[in-house]
Amino acid sequence: MASTFAAVFEIVSFGAIIVLVVLGLGIIASMMGIFNFAQGEFVLLGAYVTYLAYAHGAPVWAGMVAAPVVVGAIGFVLEALIIRRFYAAPIVAMLGTYALGLIIRESVRGLIGGFYLTVPEPIGGSIDLGSVHISAWRFTIIVITLLVMGGCYLLLSRTSFGLRVRATLENPALARASGISTPLIYGATFAFGAALAGLAGALIVPVFSLFADLGIRFLIQGFVAVMVGGVGSFIGPVAGAGVIGTLSAALPWVMSPVVADVLVFVLAIAFIKFRPQGLISGKGV
Amino acid sequence: MGGAREAVARIGEGPDVVTGEGAPAASAPAGRTSAGWKVLPIVEGLVLLIALVLPWVLQDYLTVFATRVVILALFALSFDLVWGYAGIMSFGQALFFGAAGYGVALMARDLNVTSILLILPAGTLIGLTAALLLGGFLLLGRYPSSVIFVSLGTLTGSYAADRLARGWYYLGGQNGIPSIPPLTLGSYEFEEGPVYYYMVLGILVVTYLLCRFLVRSQFGLALAGLRENEQRIAFFGYKAQHLKAIVFAIGGTIAGLAGSLYAFHEGFVWPNMLGVVFSTQVVLYVLFGGSGTLIGAVIGTVIIEGVSFWLSDNYRDVWPIILGVLLLLVIMFRPLGLISFVLGERERVGSFGKEPGKAPKKEAGNAAP
Repeated sequence: MASTFAAVFEIVSFGAIIVLVVLGLGIIASMMGIFNFAQGEFVLLGAYVTYLAYAHGAPVWAGMVAAPVVVGAIGFVLEALIIRRFYAAPIVAMLGTYALGLIIRESVRGLIGGFYLTVPEPIGGSIDLGSVHISAWRFTIIVITLLVMGGCYLLLSRTSFGLRVRATLENPALARASGISTPLIYGATFAFGAALAGLAGALIVPVFSLFADLGIRFLIQGFVAVMVGGVGSFIGPVAGAGVIGTLSAALPWVMSPVVADVLVFVLAIAFIKFRPQGLISGKGV
Repeated sequence: MGGAREAVARIGEGPDVVTGEGAPAASAPAGRTSAGWKVLPIVEGLVLLIALVLPWVLQDYLTVFATRVVILALFALSFDLVWGYAGIMSFGQALFFGAAGYGVALMARDLNVTSILLILPAGTLIGLTAALLLGGFLLLGRYPSSVIFVSLGTLTGSYAADRLARGWYYLGGQNGIPSIPPLTLGSYEFEEGPVYYYMVLGILVVTYLLCRFLVRSQFGLALAGLRENEQRIAFFGYKAQHLKAIVFAIGGTIAGLAGSLYAFHEGFVWPNMLGVVFSTQVVLYVLFGGSGTLIGAVIGTVIIEGVSFWLSDNYRDVWPIILGVLLLLVIMFRPLGLISFVLGERERVGSFGKEPGKAPKKEAGNAAP
């Protein structure tokens, strides 16, 4: 019983991490039609900012608050300078963002060297539930993920900013005719997606530690999750992330990890092949 | 979306492309192409000439390096065919390269087969089979697959293969399969050095000529149409998905050939050969040199590998960053790659089939009724 509970917690907490990483990716893919290959590097940047704050003596949580702001700002600048040119051609956007990711990743590698740098958990210790001990920080990640998910949903579905974003997504020409500055909306959406990645990086760095290839690990999983969930809506990628995250964490409990790893990808690609629109089709929130 | 036009320019140079030799020169050719002599054969000839004299000029250890570059150029050719001519973004081309490498490495390790007459066909066949399976799955089917799906599907396939190779003890895990014996022909052993170099160069030249024939045939014309406007080609009655699957399989075949040569040249195979590292590397070569021209892929490989080799002593840390910046600049401002500095648009697209006036235009061989 206790071990089952521990397993379930393990699975849920990994699922939450994937959801957190995919949120930004999904928003950019759904709202802008761009598969951002630099998203993994935004995660890395978030982790790096947190590490920097910690290394300079600031409390870890302060770094975690700063990370999404810094990464969001970087995302905004990059969108205005570079990403903007790629909107009409999704494949070129992939290649361009890949080049961007390469630059960011190698710069960070140059700054930190080939090390694995650890950052302590701001909330350490464990929560005891009878005989089961669960990591307090992983539990916090689950809570924050739920809050961020809810917040994003409300932002997109209930606020006037969300309405503008959705209008720009559905019909850019009409949105412009209605007085919405679509370039600004695209910039803001991209910055928002980048900020979410930064937050994800900041939150997971105590769990995975900081190393230059931190982002790559999540990138492909993230893309697969977005495709499985369905591009075009907010809820689709989140659902996909939940499925992929849960599967990748759950399957190793019942079979050899190597087979499980590959099986998740094979299943996902097969699923997308036969249901291209994903789990949840349709546009909007 | 101000910069959209430049981005589009990479994908399509306008509908006139599909009409082949009858096309009006919509964009002014860069330089002298209209004056009667062509740049492309000159570039190709120069590259071949340099490649031929190289082993006499270089020291031995550099010849070994040059051999590696030639093999990688063969690999780049396979990607260029798939992306530059058919418009299929194969982000997992290393899957075929690495699968063939692992396959022939296993043959050498477990079956003691090192004869070149068996190894190269086997590697080629492995590449072909893998590409047929993956391409058939990703490209064929009731609904045409989106470009995004194909590119992510190939990327995921390559990534999954990498993870599998890392975790599978039989394949050597993280370390791969070391100390593969040299290729043999009868009792002769192909060691690293000039002989291996010339053998590989010969294979590259033959493959290059075959590819050149292919992309300048009527089949190539259909491919160019596919790349520029898939829907229109479908309306003409071509089975677009089949064309794509065929090219994908040819690309996989060449990648398999390159992979088996690489495995025996390096003497070992390791998981990176299958995975994202090599897959993206080959994308860099082709984009940098110029996709859609076969020689562009070769030149891109030579430049990137050459500069990388040259800089790796002193600037190992900075080089990947420079590479990223250069790549970004090329994608943004020179979407047709470095070759477009000397090669005009009209010549890049080229003419197809028979020379005008010699024969009337026929229906392409692969056209479906």
